[in-house]
Amino acid sequence: MNAKVTQTNPEGSAQKEAPKSEGERKKGSKFLQILLVPILALLTGFIIGAIVIALSNDAVIAAYRNFFHAPGAALAATWKAIVTAYGALFNGSIGSFTEIRQGIQSYYATGDSKPFLLAIYPFTESLATVTPYILAGLAVAVGFKCGLFNIGAEGQFGIGALCSAFVGYSIHGLPWFIHLPLALLAGAAGGALWGAIPGYLKGLTGAHEVVITIMMNYISFRLSDWLLNGPMKAPGYRPLTPVVESSAMLPRFFPDPLRFNWGFFLALAMAVFVYWFLFKTTIGFEIRAVGANPDGARYAGMNIVRNFVIAMTLSGGLAGLAGATQVLGIDHWVGQGFSAGYGFDSIAIALLGQSHPLGVVLAALLWGTLRSGATRMQSLAGVPIEIISIIQGLVIVFVAAPAFIRWIYRIRAISVQTTVLTRGWGK
Amino acid sequence: MPPVLELRGITKSFPGVLANDAIDLSVEKGKILALLGENGAGKTTLMNILYGLYKPDKGQIFINGEEVTIHDPSDAIARGIGMVHQHFMLIPVMTATENVMLGVEPTRSGIFLDKAKVSKRILEISKQYDLEVDPQACIGDLPVGAQQRVEIIKVLYRQADILILDEPTAVLTPQEVEGLFKVLRSMVANGKSVIFITHKLKEVLAIADTITVLRNGRVVGTVNAKDASQEKLAAMMVGREVNLVVKKKTATPKDVVLSVKDLYVRDERQNLTVNGASFEVRAGEILGIAGVQGNGQTELVHTLTGLAPVVRGEISIMDKPVRHSSPRNVLERGVAHIPEDRQRHGLILSFPVHDNLVLCTYYQPPFAKGLALQQKVIVETAEKLVTQFDVRTPNVFVPVSTLSGGNQQKVIVAREFSRPIQLLIASQPTRGLDVGSIEYIHNRIIEKRDEGTAVLLVSPELDEIIALSDRIAVMYKGKIVDILPAAKVNKTYLGLLMAGVKPSEALEAAPATTQEIEVERVF
Amino acid sequence: MKRISNIFAVLAVFVLLLTACGPAATTVAPATSVPPVVVPPTAVPAVPTNTLAPTLKVGEVTDFGGVDDKSFNALGWKGVTDAIAQLGVSGKFLESNVQSDYAKNIQQMLSENMDLIITVGFNLGIDTAIAAKANPNTKFAIVDYTFPDCWPGAVEGTDCASATELPNVRGLTFQTDEAAFLAGYLAAGMTTTGKVATFGGIAYPSVTIFMKGFEAGVKYYNQKHNTTVAIIGWDNATTTGLFTGNFSSTDDGKSFATSLVQEGADIIMPVAGPVGLGSAAYCQTSAKCLIIGVDTDWFVSANEYASVLLSSVQKKVDVAVFKAIQDAVNGTFTGGTDNATLASGGLDLAPFHNFDSQVPQTLKDEIAQVKADIISGAVTVDGVLATP
Repeated sequence: MNAKVTQTNPEGSAQKEAPKSEGERKKGSKFLQILLVPILALLTGFIIGAIVIALSNDAVIAAYRNFFHAPGAALAATWKAIVTAYGALFNGSIGSFTEIRQGIQSYYATGDSKPFLLAIYPFTESLATVTPYILAGLAVAVGFKCGLFNIGAEGQFGIGALCSAFVGYSIHGLPWFIHLPLALLAGAAGGALWGAIPGYLKGLTGAHEVVITIMMNYISFRLSDWLLNGPMKAPGYRPLTPVVESSAMLPRFFPDPLRFNWGFFLALAMAVFVYWFLFKTTIGFEIRAVGANPDGARYAGMNIVRNFVIAMTLSGGLAGLAGATQVLGIDHWVGQGFSAGYGFDSIAIALLGQSHPLGVVLAALLWGTLRSGATRMQSLAGVPIEIISIIQGLVIVFVAAPAFIRWIYRIRAISVQTTVLTRGWGK
Repeated sequence: MPPVLELRGITKSFPGVLANDAIDLSVEKGKILALLGENGAGKTTLMNILYGLYKPDKGQIFINGEEVTIHDPSDAIARGIGMVHQHFMLIPVMTATENVMLGVEPTRSGIFLDKAKVSKRILEISKQYDLEVDPQACIGDLPVGAQQRVEIIKVLYRQADILILDEPTAVLTPQEVEGLFKVLRSMVANGKSVIFITHKLKEVLAIADTITVLRNGRVVGTVNAKDASQEKLAAMMVGREVNLVVKKKTATPKDVVLSVKDLYVRDERQNLTVNGASFEVRAGEILGIAGVQGNGQTELVHTLTGLAPVVRGEISIMDKPVRHSSPRNVLERGVAHIPEDRQRHGLILSFPVHDNLVLCTYYQPPFAKGLALQQKVIVETAEKLVTQFDVRTPNVFVPVSTLSGGNQQKVIVAREFSRPIQLLIASQPTRGLDVGSIEYIHNRIIEKRDEGTAVLLVSPELDEIIALSDRIAVMYKGKIVDILPAAKVNKTYLGLLMAGVKPSEALEAAPATTQEIEVERVF
Repeated sequence: MKRISNIFAVLAVFVLLLTACGPAATTVAPATSVPPVVVPPTAVPAVPTNTLAPTLKVGEVTDFGGVDDKSFNALGWKGVTDAIAQLGVSGKFLESNVQSDYAKNIQQMLSENMDLIITVGFNLGIDTAIAAKANPNTKFAIVDYTFPDCWPGAVEGTDCASATELPNVRGLTFQTDEAAFLAGYLAAGMTTTGKVATFGGIAYPSVTIFMKGFEAGVKYYNQKHNTTVAIIGWDNATTTGLFTGNFSSTDDGKSFATSLVQEGADIIMPVAGPVGLGSAAYCQTSAKCLIIGVDTDWFVSANEYASVLLSSVQKKVDVAVFKAIQDAVNGTFTGGTDNATLASGGLDLAPFHNFDSQVPQTLKDEIAQVKADIISGAVTVDGVLATP
C-alpha cells in the first residue's frame, strides 16, 4: 500500500494524451488543492468551535432565554462571546499589536524593554510551544513514509528527555559548545534506541509495530516513574530530576519569562534535514519505496528489515530530540507531567501535514500556536482550554475524511487523493 | 421487441479527458455482447455509468425500451443489472453462502439469519447454470475460478437479467476460461443477457454474438462475431494493422547461464511446492515453462531471484551458486526479473515514472554519489528510456499509477533491459495487456534473446509459451516432467502433461509430430 | 445555495449534539453531594459588583487534574470561592496540563496583575520560586510545599529553588499524620478481623505521612487496650509499604483492596487519590471491608460509596488557602510556612456519617481524648512509634 499521496485518475489513461507542459502548469494549482482541504477543515473547526463557545457561555444562554423579547441582545451576546474568546486566543498566540506598539514606544521613551518583551511574549511563547510538535511530528511522519505507524513517539519523547536531562545535570564543567550538543545527542540517541527496538522486532518477527510501540510506551512510562523516584531523583523528596547545568541549556533569545530558544531553529533545521534525507538520498528513496510498496521494494532488491530499523531509529531519534529540546530549552528539569501527550498529538500533526516535512512544520505551527493561545483564552474569556482540543480534533477528523469537507463546500473531487499512511493488521 | 438494454449517446468526460464520446450500444435478450477495446478505451467507464457508479454528462439509457436514470448500484440491481468486477468484491474469511447473502440477508422470525435458505438457492442456481460451487466453502480457500463463480451466483441471486462481466478472464487459467464460457452459454440459453468486457480477441470470437469495439472513448464499429476475424478486430481496436504472428530466427544457444539441479522450495505456508526440479537455460535461447498456475512456478521464480530460500538442491547462475543470495545480490549478477504481478511487485505505483525506472540501480553511480541521489541524471536517463522504449506518458514526473497497464509494463521492461543482463526471468510478461503492448513486449524479448541473453519464460498461457520459446519445459506439481524443443511441440501432448499425465502415456495418446505448427499470439 | 444548506445541515447536527450534552457539562456537583466541594470549571466567577474598594485579585494555578479533581486542586479552588463569597475578592484559575504550563500559567496570572497567586502542589515549587523572586510585589501561596527547599551544599536555582524563605511566598503544609493517627485509632477500634490496612500511590512524603500516622494510631490503640490489631501496608520501622505506583488506576484500587481483604483486613485507608475509589467500589460490591478516605471528606466528594465510608482524614487545603487570602485582604500576609495541625483546625477526622450509630460512644470519647492529647502535645506520633 501507499504511504504517500497518490493521484489516481478515474480512467487509467487520463493523463496519457496530455501535453508535456500541462503537468508543469498544474503544479501550482495542485499545491493549492493540497492546502484547500486543511484550510477549509480549519475554518469549519473554528465555526463549530464558535458554536461550542457560545453554548458554554452562561450569558449567551441567558440571552437566548429572552430571545423572543430581545433577539438582538441574544445575537449580540453570542457575537461578543465568540469575539472575546477568539480575540483572546489570537492575542494569546500572536500577541496584541497595540501592546507591541506601546512596548516599542515605551522602550524609546523610557529605555525600559519590559513592556515590549511582555508584548511579544505570546508570539515567542507560541514558537517555543511549537518546537516539540515540529520534531515529534517529523518523527511520526518518517514512520508513515516507511509505512510504519509509530505510536511510540510519546515514549521516545520521554526517554529522550530523560537521557538529555541526565547528561545535562550529571556532567559538570563542560563548555556549552560541548555540553549542549552532547545533551541533545543523548536525547536523540535515547529516543532512537527506543524506536529501533520496535523496528527491529517488526522486521525480524513481523510483530505489528503499533502493538510493540504501545508496549514500549508503557515501559517508558513506568521506567521514568522509577527513575524519577529513584536514580534520577533530585535530592529532596520531590520526584523530579535536578535542574540541568546552564551549559547544557538551549540558549534563550530574551530574558525571563520569555522561553523562546534555539530549539525552534534546530527543529526547522531538522525539518530541512528530514526533507533532504527522505527525498534526496538513496536511503530515503528506499524508505519511501518500502513504505509505498514493500513487496515491490523487496523485488527491487531492497532490504525491508534494514529499512524498518533505519526508519524507526530516525523516527525515535526525532521524537527523542523533541524531548531533549523541551527539557533543555523550556523546562530544564523533568517531572512526572513532563509530557502531556506530545507524542500522541504528533500523530495528528503528521496526518495534518500529510507526512511531508513542510506540511508537518505548518501543522505544528498551527497546533502549537493554538495550544499556546489557549491559556490566555481560558483566563480572559473564561473558555475552557478543552475548546482548543475540540477544534483540533475536528480539524483532524475533517482532514482525515476529506470527502466530508468536499461535501460541505461542494468541492469536486478532481483528483482522488488517497493518503494511506500505514498498512493494516497483517495482510 | 425492443432490446433488453440500449444506450444512446452516452458521453462522460473527466477533467482533461473525454472517456466516453456519444456511445451507442444495444444488447438483445439472450445474447452476449462483447465490448472490446484496449486498456483505457473507455469500456470500464461506460459500464460504471450503466451500474450507477458514474453519472453520464449526456445520453440516455433504455431498459426494455423504457428510459431510466440509474443513480447508484442499488438502482442498477433493482433494474436487473448485475456486475462482476474484475477484482472480486468478496470477503475471504466468509463462506460462499455468507458472501452471497451479504446485504440481502434473509432472516427467520426477523432475527436469525437463514443460511440454509440461501444455501439451497445457491445450489438451485448452481444446477440451473452449471455453476459448480460449494456453498459451505471458505472463499479464501477457493481457486480464482471458483471465486468468480461465487461472484456470478451473487449477481444471479439478486435476480439480474443483464450481467456485466469486466475482464472476467484476466485472472483465469485456460481451463477456467472454458468453464466460464460454458456458464455464460447456459445463462443466455436461460434468457439472460451478458455484456462481456475484454481485450482478448480469441475469447470474443469464441463467445460473443455481437462485438462492439471501442477506441479512445468512441465506438469504432459493431460487428457480428460470425463476420469477424482476429486481424480485423485487432485493427479496429488498435487503429492500425497488427502483426499477429511472432517472427523469430532459429535460436543459437551458447553457454549455460542458469542451471537448476534437483531443487526443493517451500511456499509461505511451508508446503513443498517445488519438488526436485532440474533444467538449464543457455545464452541465446528462450526456455518456456508451461504449466497450470499453482504448480510451483511462482515459488521457482522467487527462489531464482533470491526472494525465497532454497530448501535443497542447487541453483547456479554463470557457474556461481545461488543459495543464500539476497534479491539485490541476484540482480547485481545480471539477472532481470519481470514479475508476474507488475503492480504489486514490479513497481512502486505512487512513485513517479523516473524513480521506477531506476528502482534497481538508484544506489549505483551515476544515479547516486554517496548517499545523495543525482536527480538530474535520473531524470535525463528516464527521459531517454521513455523515448527508447516508447512509454506513453505525459512526462516522467507523473506517478506510474496513472499509466495504462501496457505502459506500466513497458516501464518495467525499460528498467530491466537497460541494465547489463545475462539472464531474463519473465513471469507472465503480457498478462492483462492489450494487443499493441503484447506485440511490443514479445518483440523485445526475442530481441534480447538474439543479443545473447538467456531467457526463462514462465506463463500459464500455453499459446504464449509456444509462440516465444525455443524449448518448452512442462511443470507439474513442482517437477519438470518433460523438456522438448518447441519445433516438435504437440499441443495435445503438452496439455496432457500439464494435466498430470505421465510422459509415456501422453506420448501414446498424442504421438509427437514433426509437423510445423502455426504459431500465433495469444490474445 | 446547496452549498450553504449543507453547511447549515452540518452545523445544525453539531448544535443538536452540543445542546444535548451542553447542560450536563456545566452542571455543578452531583445532586447527592451536600455542600458542593467541586465548583464547575467553566464558571469562572466574575468580580462582585457590590464593593467599591479595589478588590483583591486571586489566581489559582492548578497541577494536573484541574479544579474538578475532587482533591487538592478542587479544595484549593474551594478556598478561593469561599473567599470570593465571604471576602469579596475576585478569583480565577488556570489549569496545567503539562509541566511547561506551570511557568506559563503563572506568567498569565502575573500579566493580569493578580495580587495573590495560589499554586497547587509541589510540582510547581521551582516555577513558583522563580516567579516570586522576579515579582516581589506579588504574593504567592503554594500548597504542600515550603521554602527554603535547599539543603547544605545545594546550589540555589540548580539543585533547589530557594535557599532562603521568600517573604512573598507562603508555603502551606499539613501535619497530616496527626489526623491519620485518629483514623488509625478508629480503625483499630472498629476492626472485627483484627487487621487493618493502608496503601499508597507513590512513596512521596506527603503520602507516607498518612500511613505513618495511621500506623501510630493503630499502635496507640493496641497499647491502650492491650490488643494486637495488625496493620498491613506500611511499616514505619523499615519505611516500607504497599504502593500502586500511580494515582489514577481505579482498577489497581480494586485489586489492592481484593488482596488486602484476602489477607484478612476489613478496614482500608487508601492514600492514592482516585485509586481509592476503586477500593471503595470493591468494598461496596463485596461488603467485606470499610474505607477511610483521605484529603477530603469522601462522604461529600464521593457520596456514591457512602455505605462503606467509615470516615475520612481531612486535609483542609481550602481552609489554609482561605486563610492566606484573608491575610492578604487584611494586610497581614506573611511569607514562610503555615503548617496546618489538628490544633490549628487545618486537619481533622471527618464525621462518621452513616456509621455514626455503629461507632461506640466509648470509642468516640477516646478519639476525642486522643485528639485533645495530640493538640496538647501529650501524645505525639513519633513518640508512639518510638515506644517498643
